[in-house]
Amino acid sequence: MANNPSQLLPSELIDRCIGSKIWVIMKGDKELVGTLRGFDVYVNMVLEDVTEYEITPEGRRITKLDQILLNGNNIAILVPGGSPEPE
Amino acid sequence: MSGGGEKGTGTTKTPADFLKSIRGRPVVVKLNSGVDYRGILACLDGYMNIAMEQTEEYVNGQLKNKYGDAFIRGNNVLYISTTRRNLADGA
Amino acid sequence: MASEEESAVKEPLDLIRLSLDERIYVKLRSDRELRGKLHAYDQHLNMILGDVEEVVTSIEIDDETYEEIVRTTKRNVPFLFVRGDGVILVSPPLRTA
Repeated sequence: MANNPSQLLPSELIDRCIGSKIWVIMKGDKELVGTLRGFDVYVNMVLEDVTEYEITPEGRRITKLDQILLNGNNIAILVPGGSPEPE
Repeated sequence: MSGGGEKGTGTTKTPADFLKSIRGRPVVVKLNSGVDYRGILACLDGYMNIAMEQTEEYVNGQLKNKYGDAFIRGNNVLYISTTRRNLADGA
Repeated sequence: MASEEESAVKEPLDLIRLSLDERIYVKLRSDRELRGKLHAYDQHLNMILGDVEEVVTSIEIDDETYEEIVRTTKRNVPFLFVRGDGVILVSPPLRTA
């Protein structure tokens, strides 16, 4: 714990994303992009104006959601600033 | 954007705030398996265990079952959403 | 707020408590469903059920026609223990208000 070389704790990085777009890549074939409203110690997250992308055998399914509480359990990667794809 | 740990934006909504705000409201609960449950949220706890009323079970967008009351074990929950969802099949 | 009835559902597990000695429906992982009388449960949702009907649904693909064949297998078990981590959903019998 003593010699953490990083200047920014992971949770501080997420904290700086509050109010802006964030790209969430789940374990498995799911991704979400939305505005981060808040999170807790488990990195459960409240997201707004969410677009959910699911990769299915029939193609990519897109779902729009107003506001969600995302379970932190299956999150793999967080990318501040949203996805590079146009919406 | 504010620096380290300062959150006084007025728009911050923690998971706990969200859970307080959605009791009694229509919700969509999506499980990791992809199955959706739509119904009225009766209550929930810190494990994301959920009690719902007038619950409808959707598999691949198709109604498969209805339950008067339903208990959903929290470990299966991907997200809880307040909205009625709009579906669109992408490319 | 002060006068919560004993039958009130304040937390999700209350729904299970109110189903004791009733027949419930349990949806489990790997497409298993149980219907039986709830004798006991704990906070993990481990459960003891009696007079249980188990339905297992499997989808097989026909090697030649590639058609999906849905198979359901039913069996009855007089008494069993369900480990909570396999539980997806529990539904009590319909209660008339």
